[in-house]
Amino acid sequence: MSGRTPGRRSPAPYLLAGPFLVIFGVFVLYPLARAAVLALMQTYGPQASEFVLFTNFTTLVADPLFWRAVGNTLIFTAASVFIQLPLALALAILLNRPNLVGRGVYRLIFFSPQLMGLVFVAMLASIVFEKRSGLLNQALHATFGVSLDFPWLQTYVMPTLIITCLWMYVGFNMVYFLAALQNVDKELLEAASIDGAGPWSRFRNVTLPAIRPVASFVVLLSIIGSLQLFELPYIMMNYTAGPANRGLTIVMYLYQSGFEIGDLGYASAIGWVLALMLIGFAAIQLRLARTEVGA
Amino acid sequence: MSTRTSTRMWSLAAHAALIPLAIFTLIPFFWLLTASLKSTDDFFSSMFLPLDADTGAVAWDHLTFDNYRRLFFELGVGRALLNSIFLSSATAVLATLCCAAGGYALARLRFGGRNLVTILVLAALIIPPPLLLAPTYQLLYELGLLDTYTGLILPALAPAFGVFLFRQATIQSVPKDILEAARIDGCSEIGIFFGVVLPLVRPMVGAFMLITFLATWNNFVWPQVVIQTGDKFPLSVAIAQLKGVYRQDYGLIMAGTVVSVLPPAALFLILQKEFISGLTAGAVKG
Amino acid sequence: MRAVLHTLLRSFSLGTGVITVLALASALTLLARPVRTRPGLDMWIFSPEHEQLYAPVIEAREHTDEPDVNVSVIGIPALQRRMMSGFFAGLATSDLIEVERQMAGQAFTGPLDSVGFLDLTDRLRDEGLLDKINAPSFGPWTSRGRIFGLPHDVHPVLLGYRADIVEAAGIDVSTIETWDDFYRVMRPLMTDEDGDAQPDRYPFALWETDGDRLETLLYQAGGSFFDENDRPRMDTDLNARVLAEMISWCVGPDRVAADVPDFTAAGNKLKLDGYAIAYLMPDWMCNIWRLQLPQLAGKVKVMPLPAWEPGGKRTSVWGGTMIGIPKTSERVEDAWKLAKDLYLSEEIARKLYTLNDIVTPIKTYWGDPMFDEPDEYFSGQAKGRMYVDMAPLIPHRSSSPYAKLALDRFRDAAVALAEWARATHTYEPEAMLSKCHEELARAEGAVRRQMDRNVFLASDESGGDEE
Repeated sequence: MSGRTPGRRSPAPYLLAGPFLVIFGVFVLYPLARAAVLALMQTYGPQASEFVLFTNFTTLVADPLFWRAVGNTLIFTAASVFIQLPLALALAILLNRPNLVGRGVYRLIFFSPQLMGLVFVAMLASIVFEKRSGLLNQALHATFGVSLDFPWLQTYVMPTLIITCLWMYVGFNMVYFLAALQNVDKELLEAASIDGAGPWSRFRNVTLPAIRPVASFVVLLSIIGSLQLFELPYIMMNYTAGPANRGLTIVMYLYQSGFEIGDLGYASAIGWVLALMLIGFAAIQLRLARTEVGA
Repeated sequence: MSTRTSTRMWSLAAHAALIPLAIFTLIPFFWLLTASLKSTDDFFSSMFLPLDADTGAVAWDHLTFDNYRRLFFELGVGRALLNSIFLSSATAVLATLCCAAGGYALARLRFGGRNLVTILVLAALIIPPPLLLAPTYQLLYELGLLDTYTGLILPALAPAFGVFLFRQATIQSVPKDILEAARIDGCSEIGIFFGVVLPLVRPMVGAFMLITFLATWNNFVWPQVVIQTGDKFPLSVAIAQLKGVYRQDYGLIMAGTVVSVLPPAALFLILQKEFISGLTAGAVKG
Repeated sequence: MRAVLHTLLRSFSLGTGVITVLALASALTLLARPVRTRPGLDMWIFSPEHEQLYAPVIEAREHTDEPDVNVSVIGIPALQRRMMSGFFAGLATSDLIEVERQMAGQAFTGPLDSVGFLDLTDRLRDEGLLDKINAPSFGPWTSRGRIFGLPHDVHPVLLGYRADIVEAAGIDVSTIETWDDFYRVMRPLMTDEDGDAQPDRYPFALWETDGDRLETLLYQAGGSFFDENDRPRMDTDLNARVLAEMISWCVGPDRVAADVPDFTAAGNKLKLDGYAIAYLMPDWMCNIWRLQLPQLAGKVKVMPLPAWEPGGKRTSVWGGTMIGIPKTSERVEDAWKLAKDLYLSEEIARKLYTLNDIVTPIKTYWGDPMFDEPDEYFSGQAKGRMYVDMAPLIPHRSSSPYAKLALDRFRDAAVALAEWARATHTYEPEAMLSKCHEELARAEGAVRRQMDRNVFLASDESGGDEE
């Protein structure tokens, strides 16, 4: 450390870090503290509030709608990790051939749904999956004779969400995996091939260890994103949770409680449960990643 | 079998798998575009391009820009487009400056409480934004910032992950001796930030700006909660409002979606390389 | 100078430059085009039909000293969200808002003094309007004894049916008295024309997901979600019987009802195709059909609803609109006058029927001969009189702020029941009863839990003046 580094008295660090420190303090740390207090209150909008202590949490634990939301969200998260990510990896491996013609075009095409924001994907999906007039049912009817009345948005809400997110996010995650595949040692792959290792063995023993850091990052990102699913089902179901709350997610329930019913306190309580879930998943994921590397 | 034929076979197999997937990915876009150019009647009578009822041939003359005309001239979506451009670009520029300066200060400058702030930033990375939705709304109410552009922009300027990214970028690509040299040359600290640090973390600046721009453009929840006046809505909220309960005007909704998707798509196409390199930088190197 | 430029160019990539230029340019444009503030009264409505209805009155005002009126038509979800967030935060919304019944409840969930609408009770009493207007029509806009809106309608319900199809088959609907009669008489119409072994026509448009239609039928049968003290009471024998019956229509290989949604283009296409023969038809729905399905002119008729049992009620009630004045309005008196101009005038009441097919809640206008005129769309029926005759008979509805929640939970019960019925192949209503009770008890518990949690409602009730 050099003596010319500005010392504690110099105003420069505060000037540079100042805007960030102030905004971070006012709009992240302070609301976080307030979220803790709010979770102990019942409110009707920001104007009327009353302390109810831990009633919000005791109600939450006994609230079947909340558990419905948690169940739906976990199903969606599992689908993201176990269906979407493997597909993204497979796609990345297919594309990862330097001499493949049109590689850049493919990459752009698969990435393109990501350019459409969730809101707009939701608007599009709400029409694509409609009974009778929807593109999907018309196509399925024309090719496989499936009934035009197949109730995607009425009965199969979670599958609809999962399919929509496949379309939207496979290309996005593929980009990460493509970048990770650049870290794979090609000489090692060739050596393994010469040693007679099959494709699966090469993938298992050479490719996978090389992309492990990125893969665990993508898994974590995917879990975090999936747990916060909201706009897509909300707009797809016409600003509701869908029939029998089949599309209800944790954040949707938070939003409905806080901003439709006006109970910001209940919303905060839901927010804390969500935060705990996130921290739990992150801790598990970090530990898994660590032990596997260590093993 | 020679290596060359084997490679060619592999390529063919790859294409055989990739082409259907690519078509599957693109079909909704094509459907969106054609639906935005059709009347409601044609929307129901044909899947993609409008068909002539008698001959079954493509009826090109049925294509109409009427949905777009109504969007801009009757519903005034131009204003929402302008709002979106402003909110997204202003947030992107200001958040980048704020996070770049903050990240650099955390990485290379010494000031009281630096370690504490670093720990808080790392801890804040795991906070789900929805948790802050209710208290921030309450705070904006007390500050009188509800229904203002400021209320939308200000809370988005100091995301923990932005500062974290710039802190990492500074540690990786801003060597301490360059800063020393600049200081010996008599540069001011502010001057060093703009003249030395920013150019060195340039890839992160570009990527973070684009990410913030796209995220703000597609943000729906926050503007929906904060904004009250119709003229201040960004596109995401304005277009979502086209979905009514009594009427489903499909062509209009589709045209609105096209209008909302084109600007960020154009921006992305121009800056594809920058974006993807920045996007993956954190994951691959970090 | 060159050094500065050089540094700038070095630190700015193309993307950074483009976005910075966009930021500056759009900021300048926004400065040059500030948000418009128009003089005059603002009015938010959700119905494009009402916009047409009010247009002559509003245009006429432009030549008088009265303030101009800016009408905005906003979709229901958006209108509801903007209204509620305005009420929560005490922000300006509009000088007048037309509210749909289900939206209003939310405005009444908090403390009485947090209701965003102006309390109109005293004005209504002092100006003698309470006696002039059909009393049940105030129900949905009343909370804890206070009235927050001027009612717009009565909304009796009849059964609309495809007279062309029914009459071509030689069916005489006058023999129908009950729902059982209805299905027996209509069953011959369930033909399969495209050979996919499924009927291409169904007698009735109803699905387990149609909350509004299920509720309307429940009201007709005399069922309800709340007792006379507005405490939730959903798990009753009557409710269970009606629910089981309705779901039995929707499930099984011999189902007699089909999913034909209202308001969507897809649903409209099914109506044109005659996929379902008969539809629940509140007076306002006549207008939606007239406008959205002009091809059906002269092919449709209405009749009293088939009753649940011989001698039972032949009508119900669906929907309802009020006009209210947000407290934040700076021109309350102007707004009140406009509300009365629009809702009480005989001229508008007439137009409400001639243009919108809606029966006015003002009893003194019910003798108007226009209700007896034949209606071309409805095959020359004097359908206005049929609706007016039903107006005093509409079932009572609770004004509980939890009515929407109760309906949502009721719909969940219906969906769960239908799913269970399909999975277990239980198609007979009697066999569904115990499952019905189970689901309704669950729904009632959910509503009760929410109500018991509300500290605001409880504290107001103990101190406030209950009716």
